[in-house]
Amino acid sequence: MNMTKLNDIVFTVLKVIAWIIFVGLCIESGGLIVNFLFSIFNPDFVDKLYQKLDLSMLYKQSKWAFFSLYSFALTVSVLKAIMFYIVIEMLQKLDLRNPFSSIVAHKITVLSYYALSIGLLSFIAKQTGHNMEKHGYSTERLNQFWVDSDAFIIMAAVVFIIAQIFKRGVYVQQENDLTV
Amino acid sequence: MAIIVNLDVMMAKRKMSLNELSEKVGLTLSNLSILKTGKARAIRFSTLEAICSVLDCQPGDILEYVNDERDNNEEWL
Repeated sequence: MNMTKLNDIVFTVLKVIAWIIFVGLCIESGGLIVNFLFSIFNPDFVDKLYQKLDLSMLYKQSKWAFFSLYSFALTVSVLKAIMFYIVIEMLQKLDLRNPFSSIVAHKITVLSYYALSIGLLSFIAKQTGHNMEKHGYSTERLNQFWVDSDAFIIMAAVVFIIAQIFKRGVYVQQENDLTV
Repeated sequence: MAIIVNLDVMMAKRKMSLNELSEKVGLTLSNLSILKTGKARAIRFSTLEAICSVLDCQPGDILEYVNDERDNNEEWL
């Protein structure tokens, strides 16, 4: 089996994995939205839902705390789903035989911005949650949504560097194409 | 751009078509077209040598330097 064929197989597997993760993240986001609606209008039903994220205690303690923390969780979840949709779009556009295109470079740059937004939002939410816990609010059930804030910030930096290298690659490719 | 490619002028002088030049020089039609229309960013010495050899001319007959700024100022006046 030569390298090109192996690369094609790896690439196809990557596409499938990206789709699976995207679908998973969409389900998680959808579940959170449904959970959010039920926790406001029918809190008794929350135990039967997919996420089982019962924050009625927090809601009773402070509506402001409930809505702000839930907004963080929802935004981070939706941003993750959008980020993986961009990953899928990028993989669709990426051609391994001629990888340096301006569209792919743009997608990678956008990916780094999304990763940074997710990382920063998760970090702010984590700190807010810790501070609220000190003031007696029960936020431990939401901690699972922002455990990976540091990883996303590092990922954003790495992806941004890759995007810059890719932009340089696009420039060199264009120069090469226009050299006769 | 300040460098103008006069390939079409030399081809007309030698009464040579783009297809014929492409065959003799060994360049693709699209690459020759890029060169002729002035879209090229660079030209290899080997390409220049082949074109000069086929058209029996000097590099200066194909490439010309024009001062853009001076031309613009003259147009403005």
